[in-house]
Order: sequence, then C-alpha cells, then structure tokens
Amino acid sequence: MNIEINDLTRRFGRTTAVAGVSLRAGPGVFGLLGPNGAGKTTLLRTLATVIQPTSGTIRLLGRDPGQYGPRREIRRRLGYLPQALGYYPGFTVAEFVEYFALLKEMPAAAVPRAVAAAIERVGLGDRARSRLRTLSGGMLRRAGIAQAIVNEPELLLLDEPTAGLDPEQRVEFRTLLRDLGQRATVVVSTHLVEDVGAACTEVALMNGGCLVFHGTTAELTALGEGHGVGDAPLERGYSAVLTAARA
Amino acid sequence: MTTAGATALGPRPLRPRAGAVLAVGRMFRLELLHSAMLWLLPLAAGLFWYDAYRPSMAVPPLWSLRALTMQHGALLTFVLPVVGAASWMGSRDSRRGMGDLAGIAARPRWVRQLVSWAAVTGWALAGYAVCVGVLYAATARQAAWGGPLWWPAVVGAAGIPLLAAIGFAAGSCFPGRFTTPLVSIAAFFGLGFSSELAHGGTSYWQISPIIAGAVDVGPDPGVATFYPYLPDLPIAQLMFLAGLAVAVLGALGWPAGSGSRWLRGTAVLVTIAGLISSATAVGLVGTARLDPHGMMNIPALHDAANDQPIRYSPVCSQAAIAVCLNPAFAAYLPVVTSALQPVVSEVSGLASTPTRILQAAPTFTQEPNDAIGIGAPGLPGTGAIAGARPRVLIVALPDQLPGERQPDLTTAEFADQVRAQVGVSLADYVIGSDRRHSQAQQAVRAGMLIAAGVRLVAPGQRMDERGVTARGPAPGTAVYRAAQRFAALPGAARLAWLRAHLRGLRAGRITLGELP
Repeated sequence: MNIEINDLTRRFGRTTAVAGVSLRAGPGVFGLLGPNGAGKTTLLRTLATVIQPTSGTIRLLGRDPGQYGPRREIRRRLGYLPQALGYYPGFTVAEFVEYFALLKEMPAAAVPRAVAAAIERVGLGDRARSRLRTLSGGMLRRAGIAQAIVNEPELLLLDEPTAGLDPEQRVEFRTLLRDLGQRATVVVSTHLVEDVGAACTEVALMNGGCLVFHGTTAELTALGEGHGVGDAPLERGYSAVLTAARA
Repeated sequence: MTTAGATALGPRPLRPRAGAVLAVGRMFRLELLHSAMLWLLPLAAGLFWYDAYRPSMAVPPLWSLRALTMQHGALLTFVLPVVGAASWMGSRDSRRGMGDLAGIAARPRWVRQLVSWAAVTGWALAGYAVCVGVLYAATARQAAWGGPLWWPAVVGAAGIPLLAAIGFAAGSCFPGRFTTPLVSIAAFFGLGFSSELAHGGTSYWQISPIIAGAVDVGPDPGVATFYPYLPDLPIAQLMFLAGLAVAVLGALGWPAGSGSRWLRGTAVLVTIAGLISSATAVGLVGTARLDPHGMMNIPALHDAANDQPIRYSPVCSQAAIAVCLNPAFAAYLPVVTSALQPVVSEVSGLASTPTRILQAAPTFTQEPNDAIGIGAPGLPGTGAIAGARPRVLIVALPDQLPGERQPDLTTAEFADQVRAQVGVSLADYVIGSDRRHSQAQQAVRAGMLIAAGVRLVAPGQRMDERGVTARGPAPGTAVYRAAQRFAALPGAARLAWLRAHLRGLRAGRITLGELP
C-alpha cells in the first residue's frame, strides 16, 4: 500500500477539517470527491507532507512522514499540485519545471530530459520557453501538472487538476492519469464527478471531514440507482451518499 | 497531453547524491537569471556614480585619497538595492503563494535559501566590482605614481554578502509587503549612522565597513602614500562582516523544516562561529591605536613588515634649492616650487641654505577631543626636521590638497599654505632650528617671511583656519619693529647682511640693536 492512513484527524484551532479518516490505497487512480469544505484539500495537504496530522498515523510509500529522513525520501517520490498554484511569473515553463525537478533532488544529469518529457506530456511543448506570466489559466494548470509529474512520482496528489482546462484538454488529462496510475498511486481531488468516472479505479467521498464512502466507481454508481438527483449515474450515486451522510 | 513521454524517463536513483553540486549549480543558474538584483544593478550603478564615483573623482588623483573616499561611499550606495533585492527574494515564496510547493521540496530549505541569497550576492558583487573597477581604472589613468589600494575595495565587497543576508533573512522571516522598504531604509540609516558614532582612535564603531582608516584622520594624501596601507583595521572589518553574514545565514537554517537534524545543528554551529568571529573583531578594534603614519594599528593583527616605508624616487625641480616631492605629488611640484620661490630667494646662496627641500611623510598623533596632530617626522607639529641628512630640509606638505575636501582649497590658497608652512621651515633651517630663537633671530626670521609675502599672526591671535598664516612677533614690540625694518630693506641688502652675519646670528651672538 502506498497510502496507509489510520484514524487521521487534523484541526485548525477549533475547526476540525479532517476527522478520524482511515484509508488505504495502492497503485491506481484514486478519486477524492466531496462538497466544498469537506476536508479534501486538508487531507491532500496532509498526504503531501505540507501539514502534519493532529492525531492518527500516516504511512506513505511504506515510510513514516513524521521523521525527517523518511519524509525526505517520500518527497523525492512525491508529486503535488496544490489547489491554488503559485508560480514565479518570470520563469519560463521549462525553468519552472526544472526548478522543481531540482528541488525534488532529481539527478542533475537526468533533469533536462525529464523536464522536456513532462512538458510534452502536458501538451506544453510549444510553450516551453514562454514565461509563466504569459500563459492562460489552463496552461498554467498544465505547467503545474508538469512540475508534479517531472520526477515520475510514485505518489501523485492532484488538487482540482482539471480546473481551467478545456474539454479537449480534460480528455487528454484523463488519459494521462490512467497512464500514470499504471505504476503510481494518483489521488485526484475534484468536484467534477465525470473526471472520476472516466479515470479513477477507486473513489472516496468526504463530507464534514469524514470519509462517508470508499469503493469503486461501480459501487458508487450502484448506490445512486433509484435516486433522482443528478444527470449521470455516478452523480446520482454521489448525491445519494451525501444525502444519506447528511441524514 | 500525451503519454508519449512516459517511457522516456530513466530509473530514478533512491539516493541521488551524485551530481548534487551540479544540481545546486543549475539552481544557482536559475536564481541568477531571475534574481531581483539583476534589475536593480542600474540603480546601484547610478547611486554609486552619484555618491561614490563623483566624490572620489573630485579629489586629487592619489590612490589613497581615491580609495579611502570610495570606501566611505561605495557600500552605502549598494545598501538600498542589495537589501531590497535580497528581501524581495527572501519573501518570494510567500508572495507568490509557493509556500506549499516549495515547502515540500526534498532539498533542504536552507540550501534553497542559500542558493537564492548567493544569486543576489553574486550579482551585487559583480556590479560592485564593475563600479570599483571603473573608478580604479580612471584613477590609474590619472595617478602619477603608486597602485590601487585593494583593502578598501575588499572591505566594501565583504559588506555586500552581509547586506544581502540581512535583507534575505528579513524577507524570509517577515514576508509582508512593507518588509522590503522598511528593512532597506533601516539598513541604510543603520550603516550611515554607524560611522557617525565613531570618535577617537579607540572607538569600537570603527568596525563599521564605511569607516576607511583612522576615523579622525579620514582620507589624507599623507596616508598610505609613504608607508603601506595597514590592513589591520580592514582585516578586523572583514572578520566582523564575514562573521555576521555567516551568523545571519546560519540562523536561517535553525527552524524546523530547514533540513535534517545534522544540517540544523551545522546551522547553529555556523551561527555561533560567525558571532564569535564578529565579537572578536569588535574586541580587536577596541585595541586599535593611531600609528604615526595615520593608519590604525591593531597589535594582534599587525605585521611589522608594513612599517617599512615604500621606496620611491622623488621628483625634483631644477631650482636654486631643488624641491623634491613624492612622485604621487608630482602634479604639485610646479606650484610648490613657485610658492617657495620668494622664501628661497631670501636665503639663496647662504652658507646654511639647504641644497634640497625633500618632502617626507607627515606624522599623525591622536590628541584630545578627537583632534589629530599632523607634523613632520620626528618633530610632530612643527613641519620641519633638520640635520637628518646634510643640507637637506625635510618637510611635510600641507595636509589638504586643492580640491581634496570641503571647504575646497584653491591652488592659490594651497600656495599660500606651502609658503607659510614650508617657508617657515626653510627660514628656521637657515637661521637656526633651535626653537628658543634669540630676539634677533626672531626679527630676521619674521622680516624674511614678511618680505616673502607670508602673513604673520601675533602670539595669542587666532591663526587662519586654512593654514595660510605663520606665527610672528606681536605688533608694537621691539622685535616687531626690527622685523618691519628688516623686511623694508631691499632684497639684495637683506641677503648681503645675512651673508655677513649669518654665523653670528645662528650662534645667538647678534643682538636686536645690531640689526639694520
């Protein structure tokens, strides 16, 4: 298992963002669904070792991120796209991705090839020399994905990765996700249920900081049968679970 | 998006330590390309031109004057751009919302910060080197003799990493929008005022990198021209600056998340070592004393080899009495020779007249109330020494050259100074250098000087601040009247009388009544 979470809780002052979540995930694409404020981003930031849990245990890639040495090992193998992607406007796409490749301690000799490959994979090959300040929101998002995958991560955490992408790019992105999921554990936090349906093998649904569903997309779809809210079967499953959780 | 590149990547090693230097080098290249300091270099160059180049080039082209004037202004001109750029870069991740992404980098945060700081420092040092290089190149074209003083330039350069470290640390720790202007202005005034606090020869504030040499002497043509520039104070300043820079940079590595426990421990040790270095430097500066050549001597850092005078061949005028100057002052030989001519004509051909007037290093003594006494070798305050070599009058030139500092001295005033100060020495040399002149000697000396156009001031009266006057007898006294009578004689008559009576006059056997 690449992700092993046991009874994880994360509080910010009096607010409990994640409450007693337990989860296991191996290679594959893992969808994390939930309404606004459900705790998805906090869970993802905890998995990304940005913040530490208030209580509970985490093991990532078989290592304890609470200790410096293992945490550093995890970070070398980690890819992370935050919800709000910051960037250095003066950097070109290639420089931005190269910078993060170097921060991930990739071997310097391998960096140029890896950077070029990552940029190609997100479809920004022709904009590699463009400064980030000149890119559209969707292109910036793709540059963010490129920095996340430049080190061929074993654990890839993507927070709203398709926000700002046009439909064609989203289709290509789902293909990329499926490809990455062959070898790595990819966690995709999103509002877009169709992204999950198209690319994810497993899905978890959060509400109020708690995990209210964990299973396959087929199982989630099945839960929506007979439920009237939602255009697509998966959306009806999503609504049904949330309704049940709120009840 | 495509999966085409998925198989292009090779296997990733578990512990990618090989090539770490190359990786950091690549990061440094990226930081150099995007450092805010690069954009502020024109501003730094402009400020340097305004506040360091112009004042330095305004002083006479002596290496000591130019270098010491430059040291005072150069670092100050770099404060605002360097601290500002470093602070801006230090707060970059927070400003750009990169905290999460950069915060989970495998590479230690401290390393990342040091690379970013190094880029700012690198550009600033490059800019500083170019600015100083231009100033020194211009001086090399103008200076008559000598070579560049590197220590003042090195001290300024050593201040830049510290300024960058302070700015970077402030930006990193307090990444607010006001941090950059506040820390830049605070650093500017802090550095500027540091020199104002230094008084006297033993002030600890001489550690300030904008203090060039002895604080009460300042840039002086007699300093580091006849004797090598003493590196004692610059070494202490370097120790202080480097130590403080290391301490500040070390402190950046303390927080949790900066790196491994080993790395953070190293950061603590580095900080302690830096602080010890700085404290030691300050302590050493407290032991500094003004040496006779106008520089600061720190016993623990002093190399006796630097006390040996610089060898040079003086440049001499072809006159009845040759005037010989240090070659650095070659440009002033005509005006000095011309200024002394009236006095020389008064004593020309006399038995005790020197064959040469030789410029020598002035001596400097620290006096109460932050005052400095400047005199000639062996006899501070008099401006003359006789008998060191037969028939050679050794003198020091006035300590201010035309155009050297404010209030500015004109060439005519400089000539008056030379006549008043060196001319008096020449008259004393001829009549007898014993300070207890007889009344007749006093009258003849005064008469010669009056005839040569030197303005005399009675004892108790205020001397001219510009040094264009000399002491003479009080009006109304017998000596005064005798001096006036002697001065009123035709020049040939004075000279004839001196030829006939000089031996008796020097021996003190001539009375006032025997004067013509």
